[in-house]
Amino acid sequence: MLEVSGLSVSYGPVAALSEVSFKAEEGSITAVLGANGAGKTTLLRALTGLAPVKSGSARWASNELIGRRTEELVRLGVAHVPEGRGVVTELTVEENLRLGALWRKRQPDFRQLIERTYDLFPPLAERRSRPAATLSGGERQMLVIARALVARPQLLLLDEPSLGLAPLVTLELMRTVKELSRRDGLTLLLVEQNATSALSIADAAVVLSIGRVVITGDPKTLAADDQLRHSYLGF
Amino acid sequence: MTLFIDLTLNGLTYGLIYAAVALGLVLIWRATRVINFAQGALATLTTYVAATLLDRSLNYWVAFAVALAAGLIFGALTERVFMRPLYGKPELNPVVVTIGLLILVESVAGAIWGSTDRGLTPAFSQLGLTVGHTYLDFSSFDIFILVSVLVLMGLMLVLFRWTSLGLKMRASAFAPEVARLLGVRVGRLLTVGWALATFAGALAGVLVAPLLLLSPNMMDPVLVYGFAAAVLGGLDSPVGALVGGVLTGLGISYIGGYLGSSMETVGAAVLLVVVLSIRPEGLFAAAKARRV
Repeated sequence: MLEVSGLSVSYGPVAALSEVSFKAEEGSITAVLGANGAGKTTLLRALTGLAPVKSGSARWASNELIGRRTEELVRLGVAHVPEGRGVVTELTVEENLRLGALWRKRQPDFRQLIERTYDLFPPLAERRSRPAATLSGGERQMLVIARALVARPQLLLLDEPSLGLAPLVTLELMRTVKELSRRDGLTLLLVEQNATSALSIADAAVVLSIGRVVITGDPKTLAADDQLRHSYLGF
Repeated sequence: MTLFIDLTLNGLTYGLIYAAVALGLVLIWRATRVINFAQGALATLTTYVAATLLDRSLNYWVAFAVALAAGLIFGALTERVFMRPLYGKPELNPVVVTIGLLILVESVAGAIWGSTDRGLTPAFSQLGLTVGHTYLDFSSFDIFILVSVLVLMGLMLVLFRWTSLGLKMRASAFAPEVARLLGVRVGRLLTVGWALATFAGALAGVLVAPLLLLSPNMMDPVLVYGFAAAVLGGLDSPVGALVGGVLTGLGISYIGGYLGSSMETVGAAVLLVVVLSIRPEGLFAAAKARRV
């Protein structure tokens, strides 16, 4: 279980997160929703040591995540797919995937792992030796998720995977994400601006507004509550 | 015709030395966006180390190896001690620090070894070779220069293309945050990058010292031409450094040979301006792919 409690982040005098607390069950998908600037991305960055945490804690399994160096987290089974430019465009598709496995000293099943990833995302297999710069937006998103999976995480933090993707591609992506969580027992924290698609696959939802948790609960109730939707999710 | 052949061979020899210097600049630039102005001074220092060992009549190859190893160590130390505290600070800071380091290192070298020019024993004869009945202004030592820089380039290529270390270094250079999220210890790899860059410079130093003369500011002009070579190649690309180095070397050699040696510096500058006005991003830059 991921247990975040009292997490506060500030950039200088500006508080980006205040006293954020919630729990995410193992093997579940938790959607983190909210308007632009609500602190969704900051929350993920705080969990992986990329944002300046003022106070609070985040326990994953039996480990405290806060206060660790970013490069250590993958060794605790945490993978973070950052928003937007996560693909290293100067490297080929396969080199990007290899990066995901590098943190383990020995990787006997590396080839097999990569092939399995290609099975899951066939378009990547066709372009394996091309520079990642030549991929489309949807393919890039596939690649960063595939790369995170090659790292064999138990906790996957996804930041706006649907950003800039066509609705059909988004739908396909959400389906894949759901399947992954079910198949590998992954715990997922899914940050989304696109609340509808995130709620459709989530088991739980956390809504942030100006750095605070305003609602936690069942995605279906949330999607059905017109007033909540209007005030916090904007649809 | 003989003049042309001589100038070409000479240009190639110097060109590959510029390429080694350019490679050092490129490795550091693409990993940290810093132009290491101290590159030449550090190479002078390692060359003095080699000279000192040779004075104690040690074997050439021992001195050669120690100079290169000293390059690795000086590079790593420079990154750890001087550059590490500057990351995330204004971009001008590292520039000022590397220039300061250039002055400091050259003065220290002058204080220890004196500022008069001295020779450095070459590994092989510097007498021109005779092919058939033609005497060439091209010696066994020049061949050694060509071979060793090409070997250096080849090793770097293998390192970056085919090893995990190289992949990690490229990822750290191009996308440090992504690399860290994937467990790459980016800080450590920056140290390795500076070490390798200074290693390349150290090679250039021991190779060029027998051609010029060893003095505390021996590498200053070499650094200028090496910088021109790196910019010509796009500053981002090791292959660009090689091609840029050869082009710079050949260009300067032809200009010096046909127009007189006083034209060399001006000619090099003109060459640089012309190329950069046609291709502002340099010949091999990945600038277009980078902006996504």
